[in-house]
Amino acid sequence: MTDLLTSDQATETPVRPPARAGSAWLKWFARRIGLAVLTLWLCSVLVFFATAALGDPVRAILGKDYASSPERVAALQAELHLDRPVIVRYFEWLGGLLTGDLGNSVANGLPVGELVGDRIVNSAVLVIVSAIVMIPVAFGIAMVSANNRGKRTDGVIQIVMITLAGLPEFVVGILLVALFSTTVMHLLPAVTIAGGGAPPWFVPASMILPVLTLVIAVAPYVARIVRSSLLEVLDSDYVELARLKGVPERIVMRKHALLNAIVPGIQVIALQLAWLAGGIVIVEYLFSYPGIGASLVDSVRNSDFPMVQVLAMVIAAVYVGVNLLADVLSILFTPRARTAITS
Amino acid sequence: MRQTTASRRDVLKLGLLTGAALAGLPGCSAVPSRPDPGTPPVRGGVYSHGATGGGLKDTLEPYFPVTNPDISRCMQLYEPLLRWDPNYEIEPSVAESVTPNADNTQWTIRIREGVEFHHGKTVTAEDVMHSLATVTDPNNTGSGGTELATVLELNNSTVVDPRTIVLQLNSPYAVLDQLLAEYTVGIIPTDFDVSRPVGTGPFAYKHFVPGQLSQFVRHENYWDGPAWVDELFIYDFADDAAKVNALLAGQVQSIDNLPNYLAGTIEQQGASPLVSETGAWVPFTMRVDVAPFSDVRVRQALRLIVDRQQMIDQALNGFGILGNDLYAPFDPAYASDLPQRVQDIDQAKSLLRQAGQENLDVELVTSSAVGAGAVESANLFVEQARKAGVTVRLNKADANVFYGDRYLSWNFAQDFWNTRNYIPQVATSSVKGATYNETHFEDPTFTALIEQAKREPDPARRTQLLHDAQVIEYETGGYIIWGFKRQLDAYSNLVQGLEPHRYLPCSNFRFSRASFVRQT
Repeated sequence: MTDLLTSDQATETPVRPPARAGSAWLKWFARRIGLAVLTLWLCSVLVFFATAALGDPVRAILGKDYASSPERVAALQAELHLDRPVIVRYFEWLGGLLTGDLGNSVANGLPVGELVGDRIVNSAVLVIVSAIVMIPVAFGIAMVSANNRGKRTDGVIQIVMITLAGLPEFVVGILLVALFSTTVMHLLPAVTIAGGGAPPWFVPASMILPVLTLVIAVAPYVARIVRSSLLEVLDSDYVELARLKGVPERIVMRKHALLNAIVPGIQVIALQLAWLAGGIVIVEYLFSYPGIGASLVDSVRNSDFPMVQVLAMVIAAVYVGVNLLADVLSILFTPRARTAITS
Repeated sequence: MRQTTASRRDVLKLGLLTGAALAGLPGCSAVPSRPDPGTPPVRGGVYSHGATGGGLKDTLEPYFPVTNPDISRCMQLYEPLLRWDPNYEIEPSVAESVTPNADNTQWTIRIREGVEFHHGKTVTAEDVMHSLATVTDPNNTGSGGTELATVLELNNSTVVDPRTIVLQLNSPYAVLDQLLAEYTVGIIPTDFDVSRPVGTGPFAYKHFVPGQLSQFVRHENYWDGPAWVDELFIYDFADDAAKVNALLAGQVQSIDNLPNYLAGTIEQQGASPLVSETGAWVPFTMRVDVAPFSDVRVRQALRLIVDRQQMIDQALNGFGILGNDLYAPFDPAYASDLPQRVQDIDQAKSLLRQAGQENLDVELVTSSAVGAGAVESANLFVEQARKAGVTVRLNKADANVFYGDRYLSWNFAQDFWNTRNYIPQVATSSVKGATYNETHFEDPTFTALIEQAKREPDPARRTQLLHDAQVIEYETGGYIIWGFKRQLDAYSNLVQGLEPHRYLPCSNFRFSRASFVRQT
């Protein structure tokens, strides 16, 4: 995950700074990536030891059947290599993770990669579509709000935003379903059960409510942060100067204010997206959406250690990756920080 | 993939049609009312069922169903030799008859003529022998084969002709037919392959994604009348809200295990609850071999403390039938003549005084893993016991702890059981060596009566023996059985043909009898 992101960045970045600054950028990137890899490695240690090394996994997996079926106990012990020391098992697991060999699910014996692959894609689609809808909506609201500071429009928007931010996403989801699918109108599918096991996004109508729920859950935070940084910028001297010079208000807003207010926006969007990756469990449950959140809950319930480990690492990787990306973007959008690195 | 694309479109169209139908009806009756019972069934359509639970453990194995959706799939694909009818009585299925000899040691199976597997082969004695051998395989005994394996001598059983088998038992067993009627003893062909599962059931396998859905098509040559609908989807639902929403939005036509508190609400939204009696129970289990429960007076006192009706009303939202500390309520031998035990605090106090346990203080272990009604009834028990001066400390254990090391050795706990008849229930719970004997009940007189009853060919005398056995449990047993759950499912008013059934949820998952209602 991180490798993918960094290669993107590497191709793009040398264009901006002067050629002699290239090595400074390289150094900065190397440091950031090193830190990201270190974080992920620490995560892997935590995930592995929290799941596999505490207590007897076979007992947890078999539960009621532990006493009555010694042959299954033996089979599972062999499958999980429990005869070897924990450290050895950890490095074997880490090696497998890095080479793409994710092991087999304990619940049904199929390769973990096969089981989570589609679900990762499904969750990613849900998060990305939500982000694509959410970002312009949030910025739009923030701009309208900042433009009308202190007026009634702003007040109404703020109250609505605070109310929505205060509603847990399952309440929002249930209300939306009642409104659009079951009680009031029957316009949209209530759950994402696309026939034949096809991904839910093959039936776009069924994506509307889950995406809307996530947008409503996340957009208020982003809108409020962007609004307050917009206001800060609008009060600054250079905006004042631009206005005095006779630059039309619309251009002041777009060119001078928005571009400078974007950085805090990026940070909060990144935090929200990272939260979404692990936090869409409830939305996935409510809409029967076949993503990793629901799968993680199921795997924890089954004590399916290989699945839990892989899914936890995927979520950790998304966190680290999204934050890295946000940092890079913030630097690129902040001229002062950009030059600080190269000088 | 092309096929699934077509069916996906169908499903969507159906969903939209349903939506349109719901939205299009005029005025206040915006939702369809329940169809007339006499409405003729319509052929065609894609039926979707929302099954509760499921996950990566899902399987299509005929002999190892794990989750609730697994059971619903088993019922579509495979059929046992005999089956339970809506009243929980045995009726013929793949076999036209299964009859014992005079002393219950030999059972003759006569296979129904012309029963076809999904791949076109006719069921023969060889298939039946293969199925019985697979389910009782000593290396990998199926969940329905454990009891069968202890009595069946397949090596000495004979295939008389392609439609007749004589099963030899190692000891007399009066209710072998009940074991053969379980859904976990379905008949499979000799060339069975679980990656392309084939059985004789009303629907044939088409597609399966563990934890998500399974898809089936009508078995055209089904012996018991082909299904009305063309295709069947069974979706897994982890969440109750999603399941109910899917039903109300018309995306599924029926759901199993509707939460009790929703029974009233869905009726205003175009769906109907389906309530069935069951023999499922959530007992309190007292170990008869450890103090203070080893004193029969203490056990009887605790049984008298329980306000059974209050437990049904509050722990089961009223969806229950009174229990009398006896199980197997649908068994013909059920001792319904024994007086109904009711709350009697004075009597309970007096018994405790005689036992020298006036200030009894016990720990009750419960867990949400036991299922609906468990923790609720445990809480009620704490309240009710206080009236008799008994202190009950509630220990709400985690699932892994409750069913962990100490499961089956808790002194005072709870457990759940599904519908069973008397002899199979006793074999799994109430004799020495039974797999789940939570109460450690091992009464020699009781065991002797059961053994005698298993051999007894005369039904009247057998009933008398089982009645005497039940009296022993009624007077000295370790279970407090306060009630039996009612099963609550739901279906859309746009379909018909589902009826209450005492065996499995949602009309015994018999979707072959379900059909859409013609829209006028």
